[in-house]
Formats: sequence, structure tokens, C-alpha cells
Amino acid sequence: MSSASDPTLCELPGAPDSNGIDARVAPILELPRDCPEALLEAYEERGWGDGLPMVAPTAERVDAMLEAGCGDEDPDAEVAVLPPRDGIATRRTLAVNAVLAGCPPGLLPVLVSAVRALSDPAINLRGVNATTHPVAPLVIVHGEAIARLGFNAGLGTFGPGCRANASLGRALRLSLLHIAGARPGAGDASTQGQPSKYAYCIAENAAESPWESYPSAVGVDAPSAVTVHCGENPHNFHDMESETPAPILDKGASVMATLGSNNAPVSSAEFFVVLGPEHARTIADAGWSRSDVQSYLFEKVRLPAGTLRDAFAVTQWRPWLHALPANADVPLVANPSQFRVLVAGGAGKHSCVIPSWGMTQSVTVPIQA
Amino acid sequence: MTKPLVYEPTGVVGEAAASLARAPAQLAGARLAILDNGKPGAATLMQAISRELGSRVGSVPGALFQKGSAATPCEPELARRIESEADWVLTGTAD
Repeated sequence: MSSASDPTLCELPGAPDSNGIDARVAPILELPRDCPEALLEAYEERGWGDGLPMVAPTAERVDAMLEAGCGDEDPDAEVAVLPPRDGIATRRTLAVNAVLAGCPPGLLPVLVSAVRALSDPAINLRGVNATTHPVAPLVIVHGEAIARLGFNAGLGTFGPGCRANASLGRALRLSLLHIAGARPGAGDASTQGQPSKYAYCIAENAAESPWESYPSAVGVDAPSAVTVHCGENPHNFHDMESETPAPILDKGASVMATLGSNNAPVSSAEFFVVLGPEHARTIADAGWSRSDVQSYLFEKVRLPAGTLRDAFAVTQWRPWLHALPANADVPLVANPSQFRVLVAGGAGKHSCVIPSWGMTQSVTVPIQA
Repeated sequence: MTKPLVYEPTGVVGEAAASLARAPAQLAGARLAILDNGKPGAATLMQAISRELGSRVGSVPGALFQKGSAATPCEPELARRIESEADWVLTGTAD
């Protein structure tokens, strides 16, 4: 269906339109026959789904998801209200979307926590969902939950091939499509979209990181945590030959110092720098800390002020950046800490950077049911 | 054969945080402000519309206000200023 012509913004056909009534949801939809195609067709007719086959969210499967991941919490209590539709995310509705995505039952607390992070005002979810930019929320899983729940922090962490990474990322997207109403057209104006809008989840490879875990570095002390960063697809950088930090990071810096990402006109935007373990080891063996990496990138990820002013009629810069002369090199972040550095992936000489949508800040929260 | 029942995935909608104000009864003589979200061309377009409305229905072109960012809501203080200085507001352009 064409949602672009739908005059009722973010109304999902078939969805209850109650205004603050009972958040309880019942299995109301009767499928004409018991097969995967019937679910796909019934959902498509109602403007639901992501276009791929889904697992039928029967009462038995949803109950199993809740049994494994809801703890003592009320399954129908509000976890978050997700714009632009302002749909109420409860553990039950999230469990429905987790089943649809193919999540193993134990993953529900990770999804609930990711949604809790998304609802933090720093994320600016209304903007993230509604912008013309292709932005997608990246979920990064940290801590003991990785091994316990089967997430892949190693080779191929961005995918494909790991059910936990793939289904958790997909469950978050389905939750945004269904609960938040972030459907292309009515609630998601992204000009082109991007592949990470299907599923976007990795895990931190703390075992092969030379530095403290990412949550510890940002002040979150918990056995397991999730970080949500709203940005572009990953941009790879490749360095096979360097045995010192600077040439490796220079290649990453060259990927970041461009006019095309929103980090250029928005100085509060973050870059996520996801180092492969081998690059991280080379950098750390030279005595560099995470803070050193951030400081170095702050010096190297720059563009001439005149070039930036020619390129952008409007910038969201800190005041001191406006004061720089045209020939000065302007850092693309206002503070070195906006380079968010962590280690993920496996063997090989590849790393990546993930530019930001811009008017959003990443959030890290403990994983809790 | 049993026809399976499945959950709907959307949940329900919460209470709206705000609702649109009632439209003015007449536009003749009403002060029309512009809230520019900073998108390229937004102010130019809306100022042209404002002039057109002035000539067609007699509204009074008023102040041009600048929002902090197109990506964030209008700041409450700015909204209060607009409310005190205008009877209705023209806003809402995208890319």
C-alpha cells in the first residue's frame, strides 16, 4: 500500500486507535490457513512487516518469550512511548515483535533495554524515525549477555550468520515499524533508506579489546549493557601494512573527514569507531589508550573552515567553531570524546566508522528485564 | 483445519502530548508569524506564501522566528514568544 498518500499520519491500518486506554493486546488476528505465506499476506494487507517472512506470533510463542525474558515485570506495563505514532511499547508488544523477527526467547530483555535506550530524549527518536536521512539505530551488546545469549562479537559481527545479532536487530526494526509507526512514507521519510534499516546489531569484542569495556568507559557499571547509536551504515577502512597507530587511524580519519555526512554541519554529532581487534592491538601495543585514539582523531578529522562554510548554508556548530578563520582546519566534532571507540569483529585488518544522523546522542543502559 | 490466531504487532497509541489549536475564525487582520526550521529555502518559500496570504485574505505578515534545528522540537520559550506575538503560524517545510 502507498502510505505516502495516507492523510492520517502514522495511523496503522488494523491497529487499535485507543487514546491512552488499556495497553493489553490480545491475539486477535485469525489467519485463513496455517502457513507462513498466510501470515505474510495478512500482515502485508495491513501495512505490517518488513517485507521478509516472519514467525507467526501465536499466544504460545509470545508466552514463551515472556516466560523467558519478562521476569517479575508486568508484561503489559509501559516500557516506552515511541514516536512518531506514540505507540506504547510493552514487554508483550515487544515480545510479539521479537517472535516475528525470529528471536530466541532469551533475547527479550536485550530488546526491552534497547527500546528503553531509544526512548531516552538524547536519542531524539521522533527525529530519527521521521527524517529524510537514512539513519538506523545500531544496537551494540556488551558484557556477559553476549556469550549467554549467543551474540557474535567476532568475525562477521555485523552479519550475516548469527541468529542473535540478526533477529535482535530485526526485532528492533519491526518494533519501530509497528509500534513507533516508522513506516516509509507515513512515519519514516528517509529518501532512500539503507540496508541497516532491516537489522543492525553487533556485539563488543571485549575479550580482544586492549582497553576497558565500552560501558565502563562511559560510566555504565553492569554485567551486561546495550548501546544505541543512530547513524549511517558502517564505512569500512582497511590497513594491512601499518605497524604503528597513526597510519591506521589516518585512514579512518580520511573516511570521516568528508562533506557528505551530517557530522560535518553538526558539531555535537558522534562518530562510532569500531576497530577490528588487530588494528586495536597494533594501536595499544604502541602504548596508546582509548583516550589517545580520540585525541589523535580530533586532530586529524578536520576540514578547512572555508570549505565547510561554502558547503553548508546552515550549521549546528559550537560558537567557537564559527570564530575560526577560513583557512583553519575545523574539527568535525566539538570534543574528542565524541569519537566513540570500541572493538568488535575478528581476524583481519579491517575497521569501520559509523557517522551519525547528527541531532542525536548515543545512549548506553544496563540490560534489564 | 484450525485457523491460527496471531497477535497484532502494533500495540495501542498513547495519549497525545499535545493537540492542534483551533484554527482562527477569520484570517483578515490576523497576525501571521513564520517559524523557519532552517531548511534551505524554507524562509524564502514561507515568506512568499505569507505575502500571498496577505494579498488574498488580508492577514498581516508578521515576525520571522528561527527554530534551533529542523531536527528538534520548537523550544518552549520560542513557542511562548510566538504565541504572544502572532495569531497564527506558518511552518513545516522539509528538504
